[in-house]
Amino acid sequence: MSIRLPKQFSELQPFATTWALATEYERAAQRRRSQPAELKAFYDAAIKKLPAILKRVDKYPLGQIKGVDVHLFRLALSLAEVAPHVEFYGCDPKVPFAFAEERMFGFHCAIPD
Amino acid sequence: MSAVPATSFLSRYPELGNSPLPVYPYLSTDYYDKEIACIFKQDWLCVGREEEIPNPGDFKVKRLDFARTAVILIRGKDGKIGAFHNVCRHRGNKVITETGGEETFGNKKGAMMTCRFHGWTYNGSGNLVAVPHEDKFPPCFKRSENNLVPIHVDTWSGFICINLAAKPRRSLPEFLGGFRTHLDGYPFSSMVHCHTYYAHINCNWKIGMDAFSEAYHVPTIHAGSFPGLTDYWQDDCAIYGEHHSMAFYSKDMNPPTPVGSKANEIFGASIALKRSEPFPLPKGVNPRRHKNWGFEQTSMFPNYLIHVAEGLWFTHQFWPISQNKCLWEGKYYLKPPQSNSEQWAQRYAVTLQRNAWLEDTATMEDTQDALLSGAVKQIHLQDDEIMLRHAFHIINSRVEAADKAATGSAK
Repeated sequence: MSIRLPKQFSELQPFATTWALATEYERAAQRRRSQPAELKAFYDAAIKKLPAILKRVDKYPLGQIKGVDVHLFRLALSLAEVAPHVEFYGCDPKVPFAFAEERMFGFHCAIPD
Repeated sequence: MSAVPATSFLSRYPELGNSPLPVYPYLSTDYYDKEIACIFKQDWLCVGREEEIPNPGDFKVKRLDFARTAVILIRGKDGKIGAFHNVCRHRGNKVITETGGEETFGNKKGAMMTCRFHGWTYNGSGNLVAVPHEDKFPPCFKRSENNLVPIHVDTWSGFICINLAAKPRRSLPEFLGGFRTHLDGYPFSSMVHCHTYYAHINCNWKIGMDAFSEAYHVPTIHAGSFPGLTDYWQDDCAIYGEHHSMAFYSKDMNPPTPVGSKANEIFGASIALKRSEPFPLPKGVNPRRHKNWGFEQTSMFPNYLIHVAEGLWFTHQFWPISQNKCLWEGKYYLKPPQSNSEQWAQRYAVTLQRNAWLEDTATMEDTQDALLSGAVKQIHLQDDEIMLRHAFHIINSRVEAADKAATGSAK
């Protein structure tokens, strides 16, 4: 499915298909299979647009984001997923020195945001 | 016994001793069987929160592998919570079909539970109220003698606790004692937005409990996710019978980062970032209202760790499965978000915490595996690890008492 972001978010367009993912499981899996440089490129693009995305999604009541803004919110959630890796782990796509991530489950992780 | 500095925690609890602890309690099947028999099947265990089943008919079924059973927790039409073994009194089918996970949730209309096998129906009090073709059963069959097998249940501050003993030795308030007073007043019930993670870990349940019962590991294990928490200290050590409590103080917090700071500005939800909103704590928690106080690490014996902080609380629970396998559940509780941006900010904090838990759980299987080598027979604990020593002391005295009772009855 192709995602068309609004014009003012065109810098995020190259990342939309890869990172506008519905669930925590999908976002974490995408992060794990990314290269360090890919994480950095997505982080750098998304952090610039984060304030605008958060302002935009707050026009909707909690949990009722509609249309293309759903994708923008999911991009922001992917940024939250990727942020510790860029800000703390030297762009390592995995959590360093960690338990096998695939063996840790979360009740909320399969529920679409 | 060598001298312990007078200022140490151990000097206040000399009954715990200061010698190294043996390794066999983490490895022995015999020791494990005794723990199950004289602790897990005798003591109160927290199995949920009241908010998980808020309405009449709401139920939760939780597997308890150590007891080879599953407990039904159901809110009756009268609002009271009942607890029962999930076993039909007819031929033993599960009354509520479990979905295969550790916990199954749902709602039964009118709090009526009907077994899918032959349609026997029980009400929220566990009473058998309908048996299809009841007249075909012989006269010795009495409906009133075939209610669901009940499990003792009580609540404290919204925590649902069960006791598998036929006759619990103590009531829940008696069991909790001063531990209850210590945490009473913390607003658990208004911070109910919960993120739950879980994993089956190939280690003894105590290896898991130990890992979360001290802060000595923070600078090493959490160098990745909590780089700001390296200069820490522990204080406010208190023992309440089997339970205990200790506080974590930190000189600094995580350094400001673009995403971390933005999230924290919207909703302070991380233990590694300073939260600015004033927060009401119980009197005994951070009693000096010290600015460097981070959170309280408390343990409700035998397997539940409740950590409380300002604006958030989280729990760890380790459920034994065998002497070298357990189920870990980590739950992170926040006030429900009021906006989409608050939801986003909370997810950042929860993600960072999830990663820290991945760092914590990383050591557990390695520890079990290495101890199995038999190369090391005892472990050494420092003063900040007094909670591990206390837990060992309680567990071991129970196991020894069981041993003595067994020897006595064999004579």
